[in-house]
Amino acid sequence: MTDVILEARDLKKYYPVTKGLLQRTIGWVRAVDGISFTIERGKTLSLVGESGAGKTTVAKAVLLLEKLTSGSILFEGKDIYRFSKSQLKMEYRPRVQSVQQNPWSSMNPRMRVRDIIAEPLVVNTKRTKEEIRSRVLEILDQVGLAPNQVDYYPHEFSGGQRQRIAVARALALNPDLIVLDEPVSALDVSIRAQIMNLLKDLQDQYNLSYLVIAHNLATVRFMSHTVAIMYLGEIVEFGEAEELFTRPLHPYTRALISASMLTLPEDEDKGVEKIILSGEMPSPLNPPPGCRFHTRCVEATDKCSKDVPEVREIGQQRVKCHLYADPSVRSAVSKGPDAGPAGK
Amino acid sequence: MSKILLQVEDLCTSFFTRAGEFKAVDGISFYVHEGETFGLVGESACGKTVTGLSILRLLPEPAGRIVGGKIILDGTNLMELSKKEMRAYRGKMISMILQDPMTSLNPVYTVGNQIGESVRLHQGLRDDKVEDEVISALRLLRIPAPEMRIRDYPFQMSGGMRQRVVGSIAMSCRPRLLIADEPTTALDATIQAQYIALFKDIQKQTDVAIIFITHDFGVVANICQRVAVMYAGKIVETAATSTIFKAPKHPYTSALIHSVPRLDRKDDRLYSIEGQPPSLLDLPPGCRFAPRCPDVQEICHKQQPPIVEISDGHSVSCWKVK
Repeated sequence: MTDVILEARDLKKYYPVTKGLLQRTIGWVRAVDGISFTIERGKTLSLVGESGAGKTTVAKAVLLLEKLTSGSILFEGKDIYRFSKSQLKMEYRPRVQSVQQNPWSSMNPRMRVRDIIAEPLVVNTKRTKEEIRSRVLEILDQVGLAPNQVDYYPHEFSGGQRQRIAVARALALNPDLIVLDEPVSALDVSIRAQIMNLLKDLQDQYNLSYLVIAHNLATVRFMSHTVAIMYLGEIVEFGEAEELFTRPLHPYTRALISASMLTLPEDEDKGVEKIILSGEMPSPLNPPPGCRFHTRCVEATDKCSKDVPEVREIGQQRVKCHLYADPSVRSAVSKGPDAGPAGK
Repeated sequence: MSKILLQVEDLCTSFFTRAGEFKAVDGISFYVHEGETFGLVGESACGKTVTGLSILRLLPEPAGRIVGGKIILDGTNLMELSKKEMRAYRGKMISMILQDPMTSLNPVYTVGNQIGESVRLHQGLRDDKVEDEVISALRLLRIPAPEMRIRDYPFQMSGGMRQRVVGSIAMSCRPRLLIADEPTTALDATIQAQYIALFKDIQKQTDVAIIFITHDFGVVANICQRVAVMYAGKIVETAATSTIFKAPKHPYTSALIHSVPRLDRKDDRLYSIEGQPPSLLDLPPGCRFAPRCPDVQEICHKQQPPIVEISDGHSVSCWKVK
């Protein structure tokens, strides 16, 4: 029995597009259009996709910073949209914390580190000043900062150190789930490794669950247990990280992996070719009919532009693509990594 | 091997502020062949952008100044040119692409106008000829329907398209050297792959030499023939791209390569370099990487290591390498 901490069911978020003096609604931007996923306790789920795929909207919905158009989020089996305000404050918000992308803008420059980390404790708990002080020092030590830095201001730190402060703030309340929105993309290469290692250590130590939003696939492979690939508001592929990276099924996943793969000049001479997608992601205001990816897909057929593909399960993976409509293709794919259309 | 187009010798660029002299670039030397892509890799504040701006002589004066060295482009020392002569070199001989297409285009002019500006200035063409040149520049960067697009404003285009417009401006006068400063960093993965493939094609067509400034080793592997790795204002290692990946000699280069997670295998733990780069105001007297180096020796803290050429085209600045 797996221990699911958070389950999202058929999340939808449509933003109205208005026009004119009366703000008439003339259309809807379908930022998130029917996505479902689960996060297990102590594990990491990553949402991957390019800008405009809807990953941040999902993160905001989980943090209750954005009201969904429809769908439900279950936290330990209970629907958080049915929680009363006081229930949310007691049972949900303190247990779900977040770390933002940019450590230069996610902290108040006029607050000392001590107060930044203490703020969630002051707001959410009834601890005494002394208890808060010792808790702050304890967390500071866990994220690798020195106790004498507690009275510094954010500008006195480098980017990597600031991100450590942001992690410390998220940890202050001993949360169960942390939403990490691009936790390392604003940092320098040599600092990224430090923060990623820190996040993994903390996860092991406290059995934390992470919802990671990222666009860098290598980062995702390092951090995640499960991965959801998003395209234009939908999850096109979902699976265990290892399976998904060794056997990507959806053409978009394959293109993304190929684009991020390190190829040396001599590999190219050997004929290793990158899959280069043409065009750009269409507007979520007018998503293409049928499969939303068909306008850029290298394997698109007539069917793809007409019918919306169903989500199909192959082993542990779920994929939304017409390539796998035929059951014989599915069984061939699940037998070996080189079989089926993936092995072309 | 083709001819050397650009030779930078012992370039030193400093910024003079109230706090003191920031040695942003401190004695770097490299060369770029005709039609080659040369990578300058390093983390923030290592001096890679300042190197690019120094070659163009576009440093923010009076704070920033080139304090020594030579920049020889096709036989001419750019340091000896007057401002007016230098202006004629920019655009025609050398041009630059900046990182963020959201800020490097002017929002109140059409893209046709902005590309036309450089054509008019540097080629002295009459207005009726300018439009043809602009369209051909857009076509070189494979912007669909260029005849329509020249009347568009930057906000009407996506990030990838805007970066192509920036590329069109840079390529509009067919320069011989292009300095691309993190041109793909602001783009999405699939769009980044498109852009790099496009530049490889353009290079084949026009034989332009490119200095590619980036922090991303993946991009370097993909487009550069040779690479120089910079750390705190110095070049620590220069080599052919595959040598850098397969046999890095400087501890910083290998640490940097090993700290990047790999897509083709599962790592349980990343190699991480402890500490941070030194402040440019307060540089260590010896090797600049010494305080963070895992293989540090006594001499590293005292004296700067010389640059040693260990094999053809592979030079390293480290006491460990002799």
